[in-house]
Amino acid sequence: MSVQNGNTFRSAAFYDLDGTLVDVNLLHVTAYMLANVAEWKGRLANIATLAMKLPGLYAAERHDRRLLNVAMFGIFKGISRDRLAVLGEEYCERVLMQHFYSQAVDLLAGNRDAGLEPILVTGSPDFVVSALARRLGVATFAANRLAYSRNLATGRLREPIIAGEEKARWCEEYAARKGLRLRDCWGYADSYYDLPFLTALGHPVAVNPDRRLLATARDRQWPIIRFGRSRAAAPAWPDDGEP
Amino acid sequence: MAQAERKLKELKTAHLKHDIGARRDLVVTLNTRSQARLISYGDDFLVAKLPPGTRVIYPPPPLEPLPDPDVAIRYALLHPENADPLFAQLNPNMRVTIAIDDISLPLPPMQRPDMRERMLNIVLQTLADYGVDDVHLIVATSLHRRMTEDEIRRMVGERAFKAFWPDRLYNFDAENRAEVVMLGKTDHGEEVWLSRRAAESDLLIYLNINLVPMDGGHKSVAVGLAPYQSLRHHHNPATMRDSRSYMDPTRSGLHRSADRMGKIVNRNVNVFTIESAINNRMYGGLLDFLHKNEDRFSDWDHARLSTFKWTLRNLSDGMRREMLRRYAAPYGMTGVWAGETEAVHSKALARVFQQYAVPVKGQSDILIVGVPYICPYNVNSIMNPVLVQCTGLGYLFNMYRNKPLVRAGGTLIICHPLRDEFHPEHHPSYVEFFHRCLAETTDSVELEKSFEAEFARNPTYVHMYRYGNAYHGVHPFYMWYWGEPGRQHVGRIIAAGCEEPEVAARMGWEPADTLDQAIAMATAELGRSASITYLHLPPLVIADVE
Repeated sequence: MSVQNGNTFRSAAFYDLDGTLVDVNLLHVTAYMLANVAEWKGRLANIATLAMKLPGLYAAERHDRRLLNVAMFGIFKGISRDRLAVLGEEYCERVLMQHFYSQAVDLLAGNRDAGLEPILVTGSPDFVVSALARRLGVATFAANRLAYSRNLATGRLREPIIAGEEKARWCEEYAARKGLRLRDCWGYADSYYDLPFLTALGHPVAVNPDRRLLATARDRQWPIIRFGRSRAAAPAWPDDGEP
Repeated sequence: MAQAERKLKELKTAHLKHDIGARRDLVVTLNTRSQARLISYGDDFLVAKLPPGTRVIYPPPPLEPLPDPDVAIRYALLHPENADPLFAQLNPNMRVTIAIDDISLPLPPMQRPDMRERMLNIVLQTLADYGVDDVHLIVATSLHRRMTEDEIRRMVGERAFKAFWPDRLYNFDAENRAEVVMLGKTDHGEEVWLSRRAAESDLLIYLNINLVPMDGGHKSVAVGLAPYQSLRHHHNPATMRDSRSYMDPTRSGLHRSADRMGKIVNRNVNVFTIESAINNRMYGGLLDFLHKNEDRFSDWDHARLSTFKWTLRNLSDGMRREMLRRYAAPYGMTGVWAGETEAVHSKALARVFQQYAVPVKGQSDILIVGVPYICPYNVNSIMNPVLVQCTGLGYLFNMYRNKPLVRAGGTLIICHPLRDEFHPEHHPSYVEFFHRCLAETTDSVELEKSFEAEFARNPTYVHMYRYGNAYHGVHPFYMWYWGEPGRQHVGRIIAAGCEEPEVAARMGWEPADTLDQAIAMATAELGRSASITYLHLPPLVIADVE
C-alpha cells in the first residue's frame, strides 16, 4: 500500500508506451527530434542520415529490441541536454498528446481509481517520457537514459537499457522496493518483445497486439484490448459505483 | 387487402395441430434390448448404452408453426392485450425506442429471417406510416457482450440495418453513466436503473423471443436495459437459492425481483411489449433424427448418425466448432402477442409450456444431462468450464416445475469434455474467475463477498465490455450463482467424459473418464437399486414432476 498525491495504491499497473498508450513508435520520436534540432540545412542532413540507417535499424529491430534502442539513440550524439529537454516537451505537447489513445486515458484513470499506481515502463527516451508523465500525473517511470558528456549527448545509453527482459527486471526490482506482489500487478503492452515484461506480472494484458503477441495472448488466455481513436460519449461509472 | 383479410380470418380460427396424445411416449423406461442413447457432449455426441430401468425423458414434438408469421404479428399489433393498438399510440412528434433481445437466444441462432427481423420490419413500417421519425433501436444486452456488426445485421435484417446502423441502432452500454438513469426503488429496496434513451422515450417497444419460460415478461426491460446497479439486486446467491426453478416464474425469486422492478419501469415508461414463442424444432433436414427416440431409429437415421459422428470426429477442433456455429435452426413461430407486459407474458408463457412441458412421476436418485456445444453466453464463442457449470447445473438442472428431477442429496452426472478453454476476447474475466477466485473458494456467498465488486469495477474488463466484445467483468459470478440452487440441492456432481480432471476438481466436481464410470461411481454409493433419469436433449424439455 502506497500513497501518492492523496491517492492510496494497493498495487501497480505497468504500461508500455509506444504502440500501447500512444499510436507512435520510437522512430517517430527520433525523426521528430532530428527534424527539429537544427537549421533547415542540418535538418535535411539529419533526416537523410536517419533514412540511410533505416535498413540497419530494421535489422536491429528484427533481431533484438535492445539493439534497436542502442542504434536509435546513437543518432542523438552531439545534441545538447537542454535542447533535448526542450524538444522532448515540444514533442510531447505537439505529437504524443495528440496520438494518445483516448480510451487509454479512461483506462489509466480507471486503474488509478481502482487503486493501481500507474507506472510507465518504456524504451522511449527519458526527456520525452518525463514530460509525458508530468502531464499524465504519473509519478514513476522507467525510460532509456542517454549518457552525456559536458552536457552533450554521447550517443550511448546508460544501463539499464529498458527493453525486453530488462523491463521485467526493472518491474521486479521496483515491486521488491515497494513491497508489491507482482502477481497482483497489471501489465499492458503491444509487442511480442514485451513478453518477458508481461509474463512477469500477474495480470498481463495485450493492447493492440502484433501478430505474434496476439497468438501468444490467445494461447495463454490473456485479455486482449484494442484501443481505437474514438472517445466514449461519456466516462464510465466513478469508483464509488454510483453515477 | 382481401387476401390479408382472409389470412387474418384463417388465423383467428386456426388452432394448433399439436397432438397431445403424442406425449404419451415421452417418458421411456429402458430395458436390456433398448438402443444406446444419444447424449450431448460439447462439440460432439456420446452414444451410450444406459442401464436397464433408466428413465429417459424426451422433448415433445414441435408445435405446428403459424402459417404466416407476418400476418400474426400484424394481428397482434392491431389487437393487443390490455392496451391500445400500436398505431393508436403514435404521433409524428413522439420519441420511440425499440429494444430487442440479443444474441443469447434462440439457441442455436435461427434461420433467416430471424423473428426479430419480421417483428421489427412491421413495427418500423407502422411507425413510418404514422410519421414517427425519432426512433432508436437498442440491442438489450445488459451485461452481455456487445453484438458485432455482422451479428446485428443478421438479426435485424438488411432493411433496418441500412436505415439505422450505427447511429440509431446500437448495443446498450451499461457502463456509460450518461446512458442510464435511476427510476426509483422497489418496496424491497431494489434500485431500478434503465437506459436513459428508453426511459425518456414516449413509447418503449420491446421485441422478445421466448425460447424458454424464463425469458420475457418484466425481465426483458428491467434486466435487458439495466446496468450492474440494478442486476446486483437479483443476480446474487440469496435470490438464486430462492428460485425453484428458473423455469417456473411463479416460484422464482429472480422473476419476483424482476417483476417488482418491471412494475416501477412500467409506471414511469409507456412500455408496449411484443412477445413471441417458437417451437422446439432445433434440428431439421438431415439432422432431424436428433429429436427422435433412438428405439425408433430407421436404418436411414442410423446411417445419418454414423455419418454425423464420423464428421465430427474427423474435423479439427476449430473446424468442428465452426461447422456447429454455422448451423441455423429452422424454428417456427407458434405465437405472437402484443400489449401490456404482464397480459402478454401470461399468454406467451402458456404457449411455451404447451411446447415444452412433459408430466413426469417422481424424482430419481441420479440425473444424467448432456451439455451441448452452445449456451446463451457462448454464441460464436467457446463453451468454457464456467459456462458448462451454468448450463448443466443452472439451466438443465432447472428444467423442471414443482420438484427437481433428482432428489435432494442425489447425484447429477454432467456429460462434457470440460477443457480449460476460454475465449480471451469474449470471456476475459472468466479466466481470472476460474483460475484465481475458484482456486480460493467455490462458495457463492464467499465469492460474492470477496471478489464480485472488484471484478464489476475492474477497468480492463469494463473497457473490454464497452469497446470490445467481452462479457461484463461480473458475468462469471452470475454464471456461478446460476448454479446455486442445483449445488444446494444435489449431493454430488460427477463430470462424465471429463478430459481434464483438474478442471472438474476446481469446480468441486468429481471427474469420470466415461459415462459408464460415472454411473458406476454414483451407483456405488446409492446401491444398484438407484433410480436413474436421463433428460434427453436436444431439443429442450421441461419436466412437470409430480
